[in-house]
Amino acid sequence: MKALKKITLLVSIMAAIQVQAAGRDYISVVGSSTVYPFSTVVAERFGKSTQFKTPKIESTGTGGGMKLFCKGNGVDTPDISNASRRIKASELQMCHDNGVTGVVEVLIGYDGIVVANDINSHDFNLTRKDLFLALAKDVPGEADGELVANPYTHWNQVNADLPAVKIEVLGPPPTSGTRDAFVELAMEGGCKEYEWIKATKKSNKDQYKSICHTVREDGAYVEAGENDNLIIQKLQKNPDALGIFGFSFLDQNTDLVKGSMVDGAAPEFETIASGEYPVSRPLYFYVKKAHVAEIPGMEAFLNEFTSEKAMGEEGYLTDKGLIPLGEELYKEVRENTKTLKNLEL
Amino acid sequence: MNNTDLVKKSLGKRYLKERIFRTLGLLSIATAILFLVFLLTDIASKAMPAFSQTKITLPIYLDTDELGVGASNSVEEIGQADFRRVIRDALLAEFPEVSKRQEKRELYSLTSMGAEFQLRDRVMDNPDLLGQTLEIDFMADDDVDAVIKGSIDRYLPENDRRVKDQKLDWIEQLEAEGRITTGFNWNFFANGDSREPEMAGIKGAIMGSLFTLLVTLALSFPVAVAAAIYLEEFAPKNRFIDFIEININNLAAVPSIVFGLLGLAVFINFFNMPRSAPLVGGIVLSLMTLPTIIIASRSAIKAVPPSLREAALGLGASKMQSVFHHVLPAALPGILTGTIIGMAQALGETAPLLMIGMVAFIVDIPQSVVDPSTVLPIQVFLWADSPERGFLEKTSAAIMVLLFFLIAMNAIAIYLRKKFEKKW
Amino acid sequence: MKISALLFLLVLFAAFSYFMARQKITTAYRQRKQKSKIMTLPKYFGYVAGLCSLIPALLVLMVLQVAEEPYITSEISTYIEQTNIELDVNNQSDLDLFMNEIRGADTPEKVSAMSAEKLQVYQRFHEIEVTTQRTITAIVLSLAVLLGVLAMRKINTDTPARKVFEKIIEGILLLAASIAIMTTVGIVFSVLFESTRFFGEVPILSFMFGTEWSPQTAIRADQVGSSAAFGAVPLFVGTMLISFIALLVSVPLGLMSAIYLSEYANKSFRAVAKPVLEILAGIPTVVYGFFAALTVAPMIRNLGESMGLSVASESALAAGLVMGIMIIPFVSSLSDDVLSAVPQSLREGSLGLGATRSETIVKVLIPAALPGIVGGVLLAASRAIGETMIVVMAAGLAANLTVNPLEAVTTVTVQIVTLLTGDQEFDSAKTLAAFALGLMLFVTTLILNVIALHVVRKYREQYE
Repeated sequence: MKALKKITLLVSIMAAIQVQAAGRDYISVVGSSTVYPFSTVVAERFGKSTQFKTPKIESTGTGGGMKLFCKGNGVDTPDISNASRRIKASELQMCHDNGVTGVVEVLIGYDGIVVANDINSHDFNLTRKDLFLALAKDVPGEADGELVANPYTHWNQVNADLPAVKIEVLGPPPTSGTRDAFVELAMEGGCKEYEWIKATKKSNKDQYKSICHTVREDGAYVEAGENDNLIIQKLQKNPDALGIFGFSFLDQNTDLVKGSMVDGAAPEFETIASGEYPVSRPLYFYVKKAHVAEIPGMEAFLNEFTSEKAMGEEGYLTDKGLIPLGEELYKEVRENTKTLKNLEL
Repeated sequence: MNNTDLVKKSLGKRYLKERIFRTLGLLSIATAILFLVFLLTDIASKAMPAFSQTKITLPIYLDTDELGVGASNSVEEIGQADFRRVIRDALLAEFPEVSKRQEKRELYSLTSMGAEFQLRDRVMDNPDLLGQTLEIDFMADDDVDAVIKGSIDRYLPENDRRVKDQKLDWIEQLEAEGRITTGFNWNFFANGDSREPEMAGIKGAIMGSLFTLLVTLALSFPVAVAAAIYLEEFAPKNRFIDFIEININNLAAVPSIVFGLLGLAVFINFFNMPRSAPLVGGIVLSLMTLPTIIIASRSAIKAVPPSLREAALGLGASKMQSVFHHVLPAALPGILTGTIIGMAQALGETAPLLMIGMVAFIVDIPQSVVDPSTVLPIQVFLWADSPERGFLEKTSAAIMVLLFFLIAMNAIAIYLRKKFEKKW
Repeated sequence: MKISALLFLLVLFAAFSYFMARQKITTAYRQRKQKSKIMTLPKYFGYVAGLCSLIPALLVLMVLQVAEEPYITSEISTYIEQTNIELDVNNQSDLDLFMNEIRGADTPEKVSAMSAEKLQVYQRFHEIEVTTQRTITAIVLSLAVLLGVLAMRKINTDTPARKVFEKIIEGILLLAASIAIMTTVGIVFSVLFESTRFFGEVPILSFMFGTEWSPQTAIRADQVGSSAAFGAVPLFVGTMLISFIALLVSVPLGLMSAIYLSEYANKSFRAVAKPVLEILAGIPTVVYGFFAALTVAPMIRNLGESMGLSVASESALAAGLVMGIMIIPFVSSLSDDVLSAVPQSLREGSLGLGATRSETIVKVLIPAALPGIVGGVLLAASRAIGETMIVVMAAGLAANLTVNPLEAVTTVTVQIVTLLTGDQEFDSAKTLAAFALGLMLFVTTLILNVIALHVVRKYREQYE
């Protein structure tokens, strides 16, 4: 009798752990932490309103996501990569090299990059030149062509109109698309104002990039990971610090943080949409064409994301802080997504 | 002065020192316990609001035209119908003065995103409701919820408040009309993770923890007990066995994050097992709890007096028979206690699971050990970063649930220990 | 057929062999004239017969299962090559992708939803799958039957069945014990392997003694990132700082608590206080981290501001304080044990000479128990060094070389987590650096534990 009991117990345990090599039946999304809030909202609605499984979404940073995405076409690679900047030529090349030849680009909207701080703290009225001088690793010296290690420790040393506060900026690491966009739009924007640096753009592009994009490493700029919500929390606890993140996070937390003016424009919906606010960039996600037929629900998910309900002017993504595309552009994006137009750079 | 007087003089001081020392000891214990109480009350007070949910009662006219439902009333059609629209219509009917686009958006945000799915499920269950007008309690959005609970102070100046004056006016009007009710928050226990605080629940995390612990138990218990029996009863005294023992003792004190590195390098990278699955998490955790259970089992086996073994041997049993028929049953309470404590430790582990990818946003409740899922401590970790007030209380509530499970498991272990403790 | 059904059949057949062999021996025993020579119960013969048929069959089944996948893949690849479907079967990921839908088609709707060419492949796949499974079942079952019958025939009353059975069980137990070694080997191997790859790119000396930690290197060729400095000294200093603060809190509190509990407290107080202290150790570290980040750190910050000091919002003090509270049970529990182990004669001798209780404790007991207490402190230190969640949530992210507890520092464990969540390419120095840090952690805690256990054990022998 005892033996029989043991046998039944054994078999029932084995039945509980049935590991079958079945295919993946959920969509796997990786990438930007800026697009993450939008992606998760669409995923949740999608899961609730269709019979497909809710997509699994990881926030790895745009760069990290691209690397995973372009690793190959296999079932164990992600289906969609969110990006807070356009895919680089080198990344698309990596995709092609690894066999991912069908990549569909979907432009979902615009987003501003804000430099924000705690709502009760000082007001900052910055220019892009200020940002460059405060955050670059090497800044221009007295003479043209000379570079010195960044000596500025307080904001009023960079620009006498700014508060006498220690420079402490929490920002994204190099895996983040926000970082790429920030160095290209804000820092490069300020660095170009030096004539001699602007001249090097033509003569020595690599040096130009290294001057304008390298961020200081002496502790004034703190790489705060991919979690923008965490940055907001840290700003509340540290009123002298500034944080760099996407406009949607500012929009959703207006009672906790406020955005600084940049080049005279305040970070608001209208100014970003019109282009008046200089640090704004488009948001994308990229889809593996090969997976659309294989993973259940892909078409429906793409349909939901690009629908008027979601991405449109009155869509629920706008409620979350996304700045929507104009009418014409939206129609084009919808059409390209439906036909799975392959990306050529 | 002779020695006795000298001693008598110093006696006062020495007794004082004695009292101070004794009080210090008592104070230390008091400090530790006080901290524990402080921690628990702080988290409990933050968690209390999470268990209630604000609802808004609105009259809904289920107009088939507005919904876009044809005459057939099939389930698919109802599933695709636009319930958001009828809810919006109901809100506009309450506040007909709202006209501007921006204002309308604010108005629509009074109800939760899940409200339309609530309505849809209800109509799908009972399609006869179409065409009728009903009073339905909808989940309120987390901002409204926060105002009602007082987490957002309505008496602050507008700039400092997340909810602006106009929205506040609407909420107060609804309150005056008696349309705002609060009830127990069943969503917290019935839903998985969500982006909206009012809809977020821990069921997904609890099922994930359950599956992970199941795998851990199934793997670690038999192996650990077998190893303990071998080491205590059968192992010869040679260097190989010494080496095994040293290994086990060291593994017990290795930081948990190193096990996470092992899981990442070997199981995910080398064996290509699915990321975020309780299976891999369970394997990593079982490697971690193995030393704990082995050590506990060994002491339990060691505590069985030799007289029991010798009696069995004296009656003609073999070594194996004496172990399995007499020593093991006698040591079983201690072994079980050790196992339960090991499982409780595994339940609270976060770091190794972070490394193997159980940090994704997963809404569906896992149905098996290979479905992607997250566990309770990681859910706490994920929610702790969200700035919405709603998530703050949900995080605290999730911690309370976690602590509840842990206390229950430890209590069972202690109870078993007390009940089966035999004084040899 | 399915695995579980096959396993069930195997077990069933083993049971059958068991009953048959047992029956055979029972009858043999009954037929004996001299009853006294019976040394083994019939059931052991049954066990041996059952295990003989079961164990080899299980092993063969495991091997075949592992080989099944590659075999099916190669078969279906050859089939696809013969059809005119455009698929490069040598490309593993393309093949996997194509097969994903086929493998996942477990309902009739999904099958009918596939394209015509996929349907073709699906049918062939199904055929291959069924054939292989049938072959495996046949092989395994016939092996089991063969061995079972063989065993049943060869077993007679002279077979030392019980000894054989017990030897088999002993072997299984030894295997279980060796899993502990395999785990250690696994950890050491995997961490060491990745670390050596790391040290191939970053010299070990610059890692261990460098003072600049900027690991966030560029992840693309055309990107400009940090300068890839991998000097881990700020991390070590940060870890030491926070652990030191933790020990500063936990050792006095833990020791005094242990002293009170073992020397002054009465039974009922001890029965309540000891479990409550243990609860501190049972609370998950993520809860401590949450509490430290949300309540303790702002409190310390406000306190510091009111005193005019500039306190970082993620001060080492906050993290260290909470960690110290978590470690109290480790120190108090171990100290309690060693203090109780000191023989009563020492206490009585001291009291007899006129010392007060506190003088006895300070001058006699603690020196006697000192090695054990030190061992306990070392174990607590190793726990503090390896702690992850509290520091991830409450300590900073910037590598800051300082010993000021009011500033934000980062630790080894925080950096491991930061480096490994997100970009995880296993050939960039960044990801491998996490393994090198893990190696450092493992070695340090190992050394501390070995010393601690050695010290405690050595002390315990003195009184035996």
